[in-house]
Amino acid sequence: MVEGKPEKIVIFATHGSEDPEKAILPFVIGNAALAMDVPVTIVLQSRGVTLVQKGCYEHIFAPGFDPLEKLVGSFVELGGKLLACIPCLESRKIAQETLVDGVELGKAASVVQEVLEAKAVLNY
Amino acid sequence: MAEVDLATVKAAKIVDARGSACPGPLLEAKKAIGSVPVGGILEIWSNDPGTKKDIPLWAKKVGHEYIGFLAGEGYERIFVTRKK
Repeated sequence: MVEGKPEKIVIFATHGSEDPEKAILPFVIGNAALAMDVPVTIVLQSRGVTLVQKGCYEHIFAPGFDPLEKLVGSFVELGGKLLACIPCLESRKIAQETLVDGVELGKAASVVQEVLEAKAVLNY
Repeated sequence: MAEVDLATVKAAKIVDARGSACPGPLLEAKKAIGSVPVGGILEIWSNDPGTKKDIPLWAKKVGHEYIGFLAGEGYERIFVTRKK
């Protein structure tokens, strides 16, 4: 934790359906943080970009947690920010139109900016 | 923490979050607290054993008061006073 910064956390999501638990956990923590009035950005990289891809994210479940679809929905509803990696989307031929509403797209500098503004960063 | 007899508490609102997994009950509590008058009590029902650990942390962070929990049949009743 870095003292003196406003409370904001950044969570990196880098797993998809190949590891449902690791895929869902960023959204579990992200929702909990929003419930606690802590602003959150989830950065979606590598296979993590599929977590906001329609037709995919509805089918990711892990025992003990709410379904990913529900968690993504509440994360957006509570004002969480989703930032998806443009090259990661392009390499998978995932079109922007197939993403959940509200997802922002960014490249490296956007990610660096998010991290610099955060009080803490979590990686999954 | 004020002494409150939870068994006789009259909650202003009850949220039934049974069947909801982590972090569902927390989100339900956040949604519901706004409809409880300041000074009133929110009662959350959960059968997720982690909820009674999470709710006190949530309440402290957002400025409300956790006042305890009671064991129900297969679930727990968790009580929070809205403070602001």
